[in-house]
Amino acid sequence: MDKLPLASLQQKMINYLVDDDPIVTTTIMEQIKDHGSITREVRLHIYKNAYQARLKETIENDHEILGFYLGDDLFDQMVLGYLNAYPSDNTSLRHFADKLPLFLANYAPFKDHPIISELAHFERLLMVAFDAADAERFTRNLLANIPPEQWPDLVFRFHPSVQLARFQYNSVETWQALKQEQAPEPAKEQHSDWLLWRNNDRLTQFRSMPEQEYNLINMILNGASFTALCDFLLEEVSEEQASQVALNYLLKWIDDGILIKRVPIQK
Amino acid sequence: MVHNLIKHQASAREYALSSAVKGIVPPDDFLGFGLGLRTDHFQDVLSTKPDIDWFEVVSENFMVDGGKPKHYLHAIRELYPMVMHGVSLSIGSTDPLNMQYLRQLKVLVNELQPQWISDHLCWTGVNQTNSHDLLPLPYNEEALNHVCDRVDQVQNFLGRPILLENLSSYITYKESEMSEWEFFNKVARQSGCNILLDINNIYVSARNHEFKPQDYLEGIDKDKVKQFHLAGHTDYGNYVIDTHDHPVADPVWALYKQALERFGWVSTMIERDDNIPPLAELLAEVDIARNIAYDTLGQLERLKQREIVT
Repeated sequence: MDKLPLASLQQKMINYLVDDDPIVTTTIMEQIKDHGSITREVRLHIYKNAYQARLKETIENDHEILGFYLGDDLFDQMVLGYLNAYPSDNTSLRHFADKLPLFLANYAPFKDHPIISELAHFERLLMVAFDAADAERFTRNLLANIPPEQWPDLVFRFHPSVQLARFQYNSVETWQALKQEQAPEPAKEQHSDWLLWRNNDRLTQFRSMPEQEYNLINMILNGASFTALCDFLLEEVSEEQASQVALNYLLKWIDDGILIKRVPIQK
Repeated sequence: MVHNLIKHQASAREYALSSAVKGIVPPDDFLGFGLGLRTDHFQDVLSTKPDIDWFEVVSENFMVDGGKPKHYLHAIRELYPMVMHGVSLSIGSTDPLNMQYLRQLKVLVNELQPQWISDHLCWTGVNQTNSHDLLPLPYNEEALNHVCDRVDQVQNFLGRPILLENLSSYITYKESEMSEWEFFNKVARQSGCNILLDINNIYVSARNHEFKPQDYLEGIDKDKVKQFHLAGHTDYGNYVIDTHDHPVADPVWALYKQALERFGWVSTMIERDDNIPPLAELLAEVDIARNIAYDTLGQLERLKQREIVT
């Protein structure tokens, strides 16, 4: 018998791990030596079991609260479905479940309950905020030292950990209740906007915010200047109030620790 | 003024044989007795500053941009020598080397300045699918040349030799033409890499494949082994699974003693990956390892911290 090239052998082994088809199992079985007191089936199954257990544990660690929400049976069903739909193509387990919200939004029975995908999305955003890059924060003193003539063109910058989320269900409230080991309210449609970030103590934090604030942050993320922010606010408040409202947001963001020190861009 | 940049990072202690004892002098790169650093212990390590020689960190856990774990890691690096241990190099895969991974690894190397970098003699995935497991290679000429070629590329990229570690295995491919230790030793000789011997993995594989673990030790060149791992496993009677989630088992301690007799002073550490107990429990296991080494090779005295640049 001709020797099987290394690449083919590896492909057969990977196929066995990700695919439960008995033909795939037979194909790799033929390449395994039968020796000692353990059967080839048992030997191979140790690998299959480890593969599934490791990836399940990764999802459990990343999505503890989602696990509480689903319960054991649905969680196991989700894990097997996800493993089949999205075998890992990433070097790092940190990113293995990145597509879980997408999976939950598109596969039955999960897609019929959109709050499930939103819960997963929220937990993944918390992870992003947790290990995003560090950056020195902006302070009230730095703000006070900006010459008046520069103000109109200032473009502030957010900390790399800052994440915005827009939910259509009471997902975050549900997450918070489960985190406190309390029964959540039934799922209901409820529009809300959220800000997530890592604070000055390196703790991950989140809060809801009014739509106005959500829009302003989005504008800044798209490069809007302080003048543009004020112009936008003019649609909702008077000319005298606009710059003060914008300034109040800036002060709040500085106190939250979501603006960084890096000198704002001069247009 | 390069030394100003690195003087705050802890470097290895010097060891000398106690004057009262005859024995083998440890080599210059001997780090002593260490522990795999786990996030559960970060606060404890920083607040109690345990008397331990060095830590090993899992590289992939810190290939992130920032955040609390990385902050703690750097604080601990100020206090202790470190080595980096990876699980994703996939040196035996027939996919092209993952250059993005290697670049991230190099960034972390620059940040931590580890005494050395290790990974496993295995493959973890192929054709864009990752098993996240350490899968064995067939032990034949094709795999040997393939692995050596890739070790060469990695060592050139990193600018330093790497260490490769033996894994626990449960299958033998029909394509294998030699024992794992013959293969491993040839890889080290041919590619210039060094060897990290996991004593527990030798025991686990010996049980599963019914070979004598002493044959494994005897088949490895003495001058190639730079580090030992000691860990626990789960015994199912007719087979053993490497779980790294238990204390080191008695037969593994016995094998460790035999390894010391063959290889002399080799930097040794306890590696616990799951069921992480309190720090003190693992430090006590490190002490057991130290005492076995002292009984086997002679008493050592730890001297002052060595300067990296003097």
